[in-house]
Amino acid sequence: MALSSEQLKAALPEQLKAPLEQLGNAPWYLKDLPTYLKAFGILTVIYIGLRLYQGEFAVSAGLDSYEPAFEQYWMRLFYIELVVIALFTTGLWGYLWVSRDRNLDSISPKEEICRYFTLTMWISVYTFAVYWAGSYFAEQDNSWHQVAIRDTPFTANHIIEFYFNFPLYVILGGSAWVYARTRLPLYAKGISLPLTLAVFGPFMILVSVGFNEWGHTFWFREEFFAAPIHWGFVIGVWFALGVGGILLQGVTRLIELLDDLEDAP
Amino acid sequence: MMSANISNRSFRPYTGEKARISRAYDYLILVLALFLFIGAFHLHFALTVGDWDFWVDWKDRQYWPLVTPLMGITFPAAVQYVMWNKFRLPMGATLCVAALLIGTWITRVFAYHYWNFFPINMVLPATMLPGALVLDFILMLSNSLTITAIFGGAAFALLFYPTNWPIFGLFHVPVEQGNGQVTVADLFGFQYIRTGMPEYLRIIERGTLRTYGQYATPLSAFASALLCSLMYTLWWYIGKWFSTVRYLNKI
Repeated sequence: MALSSEQLKAALPEQLKAPLEQLGNAPWYLKDLPTYLKAFGILTVIYIGLRLYQGEFAVSAGLDSYEPAFEQYWMRLFYIELVVIALFTTGLWGYLWVSRDRNLDSISPKEEICRYFTLTMWISVYTFAVYWAGSYFAEQDNSWHQVAIRDTPFTANHIIEFYFNFPLYVILGGSAWVYARTRLPLYAKGISLPLTLAVFGPFMILVSVGFNEWGHTFWFREEFFAAPIHWGFVIGVWFALGVGGILLQGVTRLIELLDDLEDAP
Repeated sequence: MMSANISNRSFRPYTGEKARISRAYDYLILVLALFLFIGAFHLHFALTVGDWDFWVDWKDRQYWPLVTPLMGITFPAAVQYVMWNKFRLPMGATLCVAALLIGTWITRVFAYHYWNFFPINMVLPATMLPGALVLDFILMLSNSLTITAIFGGAAFALLFYPTNWPIFGLFHVPVEQGNGQVTVADLFGFQYIRTGMPEYLRIIERGTLRTYGQYATPLSAFASALLCSLMYTLWWYIGKWFSTVRYLNKI
């Protein structure tokens, strides 16, 4: 039998109850904080779940792509990922577009401040996905390549890194871009160059997968990680530095909006 | 094209709700920046320095002290531009390098050691923290791109080898293996088979390098110092270019 939310609350330790109640009473400018924290939680569960899956099935079923077990445990995961990514992209971008603000000229300073906070949360969730794709699973790829000789572009780590992690951060970065474009006046009037660079540059990392795998059709070596064939990824990630410009745009506008706001205790 | 300029209408400190709004925004940015710099800098680092940082037997005295600071000073310089020039925060380099260390340590433990059973001593990451602290310190004191590039960039490179020596020196102890002399680090490389072998083994201690004796390391470090000064300047401007606040009419 499923527990009710009241029963769940009662079962929580005392130390967790107070912060959770405070979250429910978040100030107006942090109204999306609970959703933001949930997004972090869900992503953490997904990424750690995928890593545990690798720990369980990479050696037992992921060494030889010609084995039937590889098809069962890894290619099936790959197809599931494609479906999830396609549905998630359509749903999320569709929702952001359909629920766009059609009257951006009349939003109050308080509402605009709130939306700048939400945009920052979107970018923060994007950078969290960049962490898993660019840091953990990226370097883990080297570790796996040094224990298993590649006989396919769909290795036990690539299936998660290239075909799930990369599209996922692209989707989340794109969502931040669409959110800004559809809900914040300055971003609707002009296209923010730093936001565009910070989203489209790392998107090119996904495209570089093709270049990278094409290169590996020539070289059997497993593998020199700092090789030039990988530098397409490197150039793509430099564009994440555009976040500095986004921060400056946000701070500039927030100062103006705070100046327009009445002082409150 | 529009451009954004920092408002100069009010620079008095915020109080009450405005102060809380400002502080809440700071915390959001802190979380965002932490994951951004772990993810972005780590990917850049892993695919440029990469192998020299992954494996203890790659940490030689010719390329390792040259390549690591040279590729490691990039993001710190770019981030210093924004954090110092726009916010007067003298911590851009330290933030980047600390973020990189967090990312590399998590990966070495969970991806190399727990997944594929490489001994953690074989995959210890190098540190650039002392150099990063000095780089931030010199920028804060001098408030000068030129001074920081020349002296900070050089210090970043020159400090690399001596500050890593307490971590990695013990792996350079010579041992006899198969009637030959190798280091403990080399022995790790031979004992733990990697798919890239035999080409992946780094046996560079040969030819003219041996006749250079103990001078190879300081020569590499000074070569790196020169290149780091140039690289710092280049990346300072890359940081400046990426922190544009332009809005475009179309893309």
